Amino acid sequence: MFKEVRKKVESFPGYLKSWVGTFKGGLTIFCLIILLIIPLLTQNAYYLGEFFTLAMIYAIFAASWDLLAGIAGQVSFGHAIFFAISGYISSAFIVYFGFHWIIALFIGSIIAVVFGLLIAVPCLRLKGPYLALGTMSFGLILFLLFTMGGLSEILGGSGGISKVPPISLNPVIEYIITLFIMVIVFIIIIAIAKSNFGTILKSIRDDERGSDASGINTTKYKIFAFMISGFFAGIAGALFAMHYRGVNPAFFQPLYSFYAIVIAALGGIATIRGSALGAFFFVIVTRIFENIEFFADVEPLFFFSIILIFTIRFAERGIITPAIEQLKDLWDLVLGK
Amino acid sequence: MIEEFLVLGLIQGFIYALLAMGFSLVYGVGGVLNLSHGGFYLLTAYVFFWNYTSLGVVNTIIISLIMITIIGGLAYLFLIKPLEHTPIGVVIGTFALAFFIEQFVQFAGDAKIHSDIPPLIEGSIEFLGFEIDAHLLLIIIVSLTVIVSLTIFINKSKLGKSIRAVSQDREAATLMGINADRILLYTVMISAFLAGIAAILYIPKDIVAPHKGWSILINSFAVVVLGGMGSLLGSVAGSFIIAFVGSYCNFYIDPSVSYLVPIIIIVVMLIFRPQGLFGKKELL
Amino acid sequence: MGIILEVKNLTKKFGGLTAVNDFSFELKRGEFVGLIGPNGAGKTTVFNLISGFEKLNTGLIKFDGKDITGLKPYKIVNLGIARTFQLVRSFKYLNLLDNVTVSCLSSRGREVSKETGTDEYASSILASVGLVDKARLPPIILPHGDLRKLQIAKAIGTNPELLLLDEPFSGLTYEEQLGITDLIKKLHDDGVTIFITGHVLRELMTLVPRVIAMHQGKFIIDGSPLEVAKNKIVREAYLGKGEEFA
Repeated sequence: MFKEVRKKVESFPGYLKSWVGTFKGGLTIFCLIILLIIPLLTQNAYYLGEFFTLAMIYAIFAASWDLLAGIAGQVSFGHAIFFAISGYISSAFIVYFGFHWIIALFIGSIIAVVFGLLIAVPCLRLKGPYLALGTMSFGLILFLLFTMGGLSEILGGSGGISKVPPISLNPVIEYIITLFIMVIVFIIIIAIAKSNFGTILKSIRDDERGSDASGINTTKYKIFAFMISGFFAGIAGALFAMHYRGVNPAFFQPLYSFYAIVIAALGGIATIRGSALGAFFFVIVTRIFENIEFFADVEPLFFFSIILIFTIRFAERGIITPAIEQLKDLWDLVLGK
Repeated sequence: MIEEFLVLGLIQGFIYALLAMGFSLVYGVGGVLNLSHGGFYLLTAYVFFWNYTSLGVVNTIIISLIMITIIGGLAYLFLIKPLEHTPIGVVIGTFALAFFIEQFVQFAGDAKIHSDIPPLIEGSIEFLGFEIDAHLLLIIIVSLTVIVSLTIFINKSKLGKSIRAVSQDREAATLMGINADRILLYTVMISAFLAGIAAILYIPKDIVAPHKGWSILINSFAVVVLGGMGSLLGSVAGSFIIAFVGSYCNFYIDPSVSYLVPIIIIVVMLIFRPQGLFGKKELL
Repeated sequence: MGIILEVKNLTKKFGGLTAVNDFSFELKRGEFVGLIGPNGAGKTTVFNLISGFEKLNTGLIKFDGKDITGLKPYKIVNLGIARTFQLVRSFKYLNLLDNVTVSCLSSRGREVSKETGTDEYASSILASVGLVDKARLPPIILPHGDLRKLQIAKAIGTNPELLLLDEPFSGLTYEEQLGITDLIKKLHDDGVTIFITGHVLRELMTLVPRVIAMHQGKFIIDGSPLEVAKNKIVREAYLGKGEEFA
């Protein structure tokens, strides 16, 4: 195993050079450069925060879902659970125990994973829509538990935990740090998807019985997929809580689970990268709807639900990925290939 | 207290039965768990709600039921059938439709909770010395009629036999000359029709709100998980069990607990007995 | 050399139907044995029971002396039994190379593939079945014969000692059958014990030196192809169903 890793590390610089040369690689670098330039164009808390930082948080959330659903084939409708648990735990560690936000973020995400295991294990023998409804049910239980009586009193009541300090009061710093986290998370998730481990997950997605017959302990790998996905969803949840200065039971609502699904689907299921594009599309269009008179009455979600239907029906790979491929073809044409 | 407990249990039992039978049928015949089932209910509820004052109750009922049956058919043709071979596609596709319906009713109407729909029949009727609310009687009579008719239809009619054939073995049925796709189309339309009836009967006793779609879906799922997928008897039995347990919680424990009942049942059943009480099809 | 598979009193019921009824046999290491019976005789069920995809009602299955009754399929694969399916299946969104790589990543497969690296090992397996030039292509474009080869390649990836081939000739053209036959013979020559079902009998009976026949879940006879072909019950079972029997 070490030989393989060393080979990969040694060939990395060459690999990187050739990757940048490809269309996808170049486009990714181009987008990253744009993202780096944005804080130079505006330091406004609203524009930076509600357009871009939020989009990056959703991107992480959707990518984590895409790993579980698109790569491993486990379509979860309860992803808000990881999001919210991590939001609560990390907020509690920052506000009540005075931990630094990075440590709180890790603790929150790890606890979210543990929780996710409790849910994943019974759900593991469910396939397709059963898994969807099973995870939705768990999500609903937690949502109801946190909004009514009992548990919610222990954990901050319906008001949740408030006065959570953000990563930084300076929106530019918050933006840069979130960008940095998003890039790292995406590199890791994409690396996982492309690795042998990712191939095994895909085999479970494509034909679980066949994967069993190939000697794969599918239960073990499904658990891993849930754990890894839950961890990254937890990171998103902690970032979200800090961004909005607090956490409350609404974090558990099915709608947030839906956001992950809609964004990942718009960007292209199983593409991982698509989640980033989908997230920016989702957030920016939502903000545009909010700010333009003409669309004042229209709920952006209504618009997205229509796009989602057509996307899933006609464009399995999302609307963004094929659009990029069209761009690539155009580019090749222009370059005379 | 006991009267209210019984009444709510009865009402919900019948309503859930109508919903669960359709849901279970579609799964049994096509292997599809239609996540937009709650959406069918929701859409009918809203269409009825928007139009009953201007068009009259009876007309609105007829129009709504025809509408939802057609929409069910279109949903099958444009969303379910083309995505049949991608399991992820069907799940997200039917979810997307449900999501769209939830957004649509808010777009075309509003996001408020409406609880002021008048009963379809006013007043009460004397029956065996009891004063029975007329609408309740209507629910019971209509539901019983539908349930019995559906059971007879499935067991005796030609189409019903085709439906049973496809649900038992799709390939074998196709070899016998049955057009399985068309059978599934009719099944989805029937389930939409049943959901529509359930909506019209229930909303005077319940609310009209955008999030109802999901709770109806979860309820339907809970009933079929409890009763067993593909079993009509299981759907009816499961409906009443869940309805009365929920009603009990509502009146004797705490109303908010009754929301948890179907969800807890789903979780417990999936862990311990996924095939349900009367389950036939393997769901794993 | 030694008994590699011991099956005793295997019984499997599906509701009221007894698919496999008190079925017993033994396979020696390195043998090449056929399992025949008309459609519905229970052959695939026997395979499913041995490979762990179905739970038996009564009976005992021992592999290399070890009791494997009730083990999960992946564990049985990692002990050394691989199988192919009657209806071809593949990981449809993975290319051929990745299809085989999955098997090479099983714990048993890793023991071999870690020497050369999984990619190289999977490539060599594809080469041995003649599919390496299509390594980067998805299974969907493959003709039926190649899909059957892919299945065998996937099974090889787990480094099996015993290979259960479920109707590997069904749906193939004559040329394709020859290709598969060569492949299977080569595997046998390499020391893999082969247990193969089929009801394209002409091909099977000339291929294997020993045949076990079953009908309606029950054991009928175990012997050379000639003996089995002459057996009265076997002939009735096949002729009664109007199936080809040479």
